Amino acid sequence: MSTANDIRQTFFQECDELLEALDDGLSEIDDGIADATFSIDTVNAVFRAVHSIKGGAAAFGLDALVHFAHQFETVLDAMRSGQLQATEEGMKICHRAADHLNDLVAAGRENRELDAGSGPDIAARLAGLVAMPESAPAPTPPVSGEGGFGFAPLSLDLGAITQDSGQTTFVIAFRPHRALYASGNDTALILRELDEMGVLTVEVATEGLPDFDAIEAGEAYLSWTLRLVTEESEGAVRDVFEFVEGMCDLQIEAVADAPAGAEIPLPAAPETPVAAPVGAPPAPPPAPAQSRDKPAEAEGPKATVRVNLDLVDRLINMVGELVINQAVLTQCVKDAGLLDRGDLSTSLAEFRNLARDIQESVMAIRAQSVKPLFQRMARIVREAAELSGKETEFVTEGEATEVDKTIIERLVDPLTHMIRNAVDHGLESPQDRLAAGKPATGRVTLSAAHRSGRVLIEVSDDGAGINRPKVFQIAVEKGLIPPESQLKDAEIDNLLFMPGFSTASQVSNLSGRGVGMDVVRSAIQKLGGRVSIQSQRGKGTTMSISLPLTLAVLDGMVVDVAGQTMVVPITAIVETLRPKPEDIHALGADNLVVSVRNKLVPVIDLGVVFGHRGAPASISDMVVLLVESDSHTSWALAVDQIFDQRQVVIKGLESNYGHVPGVAAATILGDGNIALIIDPEETAHRSGAAIDPGELALLDEV
Amino acid sequence: MALRDALTIMVVDDMSTSRSLIIMALEEMGIRKIDFSTDGASALQALAQKPVHLVISDYNMPNMDGLHLLQALRHNPATKGVGFILVSGRVDQNIINVGRQLGMNNFIQKPFTTPQMRECIQAVVGQL
Repeated sequence: MSTANDIRQTFFQECDELLEALDDGLSEIDDGIADATFSIDTVNAVFRAVHSIKGGAAAFGLDALVHFAHQFETVLDAMRSGQLQATEEGMKICHRAADHLNDLVAAGRENRELDAGSGPDIAARLAGLVAMPESAPAPTPPVSGEGGFGFAPLSLDLGAITQDSGQTTFVIAFRPHRALYASGNDTALILRELDEMGVLTVEVATEGLPDFDAIEAGEAYLSWTLRLVTEESEGAVRDVFEFVEGMCDLQIEAVADAPAGAEIPLPAAPETPVAAPVGAPPAPPPAPAQSRDKPAEAEGPKATVRVNLDLVDRLINMVGELVINQAVLTQCVKDAGLLDRGDLSTSLAEFRNLARDIQESVMAIRAQSVKPLFQRMARIVREAAELSGKETEFVTEGEATEVDKTIIERLVDPLTHMIRNAVDHGLESPQDRLAAGKPATGRVTLSAAHRSGRVLIEVSDDGAGINRPKVFQIAVEKGLIPPESQLKDAEIDNLLFMPGFSTASQVSNLSGRGVGMDVVRSAIQKLGGRVSIQSQRGKGTTMSISLPLTLAVLDGMVVDVAGQTMVVPITAIVETLRPKPEDIHALGADNLVVSVRNKLVPVIDLGVVFGHRGAPASISDMVVLLVESDSHTSWALAVDQIFDQRQVVIKGLESNYGHVPGVAAATILGDGNIALIIDPEETAHRSGAAIDPGELALLDEV
Repeated sequence: MALRDALTIMVVDDMSTSRSLIIMALEEMGIRKIDFSTDGASALQALAQKPVHLVISDYNMPNMDGLHLLQALRHNPATKGVGFILVSGRVDQNIINVGRQLGMNNFIQKPFTTPQMRECIQAVVGQL
């Protein structure tokens, strides 16, 4: 049984959906505003979303939310009744109001009051759209009997109702196929059986019947329309056709018998397209009865089930175990020397494929479209545009792209920052844009797409592009690079990701909050992603984030480190090599660097870093994995040998052991052993990063 | 047997929060035979198959609002005797008037408390 608290939770979940619908609807109105092509249904849907939020909020005593939703609703009500024309200016205010509603819902969810902030301002602007009484929802008598409504008592016949009262009329469209006759069925028997169930009216359609000469004995030419008034249920009627299922076209529709009563005009209810014209016999069931061979589809665009996230996570965990178990089993079979048995290896292969299919399906459950995320960003753009005074058009692409829920959640902050940057730093002021021969309104595009097993998210603007000389100068001033550095364009662009870099000459209200792009980068990297930047002077800047589809599995390289098995994420590895002795140089007492195509890369012996051996082994006997961070800093991770490359199931360690620097997670291998998955960049820092790779930049040129 | 044990109720509301709140109030009153629909059209379909004693319906819903549902119910001999309580967020005299003409049995405004809902239902069906 649900408790009030559960319902409260449901309410906030529902609010999220309603707010999304609200945003959708407002955007749809935006699109159609110029040529007035948006439909009244859209306005109704928008109204209903706000109305429903208000209704629920009232039940939980969220007064601020109720109050504001009421004001918003009044404006939307005026819009749907035609008293208020939708204008661009008005829609802007509606968008801001939707944003504020969002804030109020969030505040309600966390049981806190919202700071005054922009609330009163938006409320005032809403009020400016329509002549609105400055009052809260009119306090009306809530209970029956008052408010001018005299209740109408009923006399109940409690016995009668449990059975089906009355008769139902079924209209049955029945067209036998050739196969029905071929299998020895007789339509006459079917009709007779129906006749016994009630009052049957039979109409036969003979249009399909050819001339007598042309009749082929086995062919089916006739079809029937039957009208059956019966006390039996629809199921019983369907049962008559049980044996001819699939051998005929069959539609059974229950029609309510309707003696015409007195017609009372209903209030204009634009909010609901009525299923049947009022006054006509009451709506037949709106979903047409399905013929038997088509399973009844749930109506509505997307049927969804709300599932507790814990359950999904448990399922994912179990599937992870299944995958591990499958690996263990394969290993056992292999160890027993049975792998050459054809049937066994075929079954194992099938098992592996099934396990992977199940895993992918389960992952898909956790996947969510990026649309809500993008909608949030639309809001960020609106706010940033308003604060910076730059007219901004926001375009989104690939909203339906699905990504793991956790990834979406953790993308909010970095994306917010990138979007703010794009508006604040990327776009020029309207005057500058006009001077540069561009339209005054800037454009920020946010797109998502699946690209070779990863998700690519791009934020681009059509602004001035990165001012590279200025970036270079600032980096020098901040001591991030030596003044004499010779950097390529891409390298200069990447300076933006360096800690402590900020190009805004004055800290603006928006982006310059002391959080730099370096924080964005590290947030993305924590998700196993990479971020890169491309820019063209005068044309604009594009930031690309590439992310794994899921945080539950990763492609890893399984390596041997001083007898211990460890896993290095493939995405981090640029190349693997076996260095020649002459490529290895000592730098200082015990720091080694390896020369890779004339570039010096610090060597990190994983065995030493993780304490699997005391002294460094001879590097020349080892394999080196070249890993690269997005700032193009490289390290060479030395391991004893590479075993395998495979998909591993990620098992978090943080809840049990806290965060261990250098260790991202663990996994269970096919032989049942546990292996640590390392975080290459953290490992490098943990090793004291032997040598600051920055210093090596100077040596490289030698 | 108390009335509350025998009484069958259909709750119609598109918003699961409101639906849950109504159902919770009904359960608090000891009513157990509760069914629900998410809009007027599907309620109509369900009720044609399996009538109940009392329908408690929201006004503002997609796919047939509460008043159109009421009208359709009153037109069908199988359901024309069913009790009908309309729930709405606002008290609109016009809606109430039309509802009354259509044979609405009672009206309750959201938000409501369990005692208010009980009073509203008892006004229609008698002592629970």
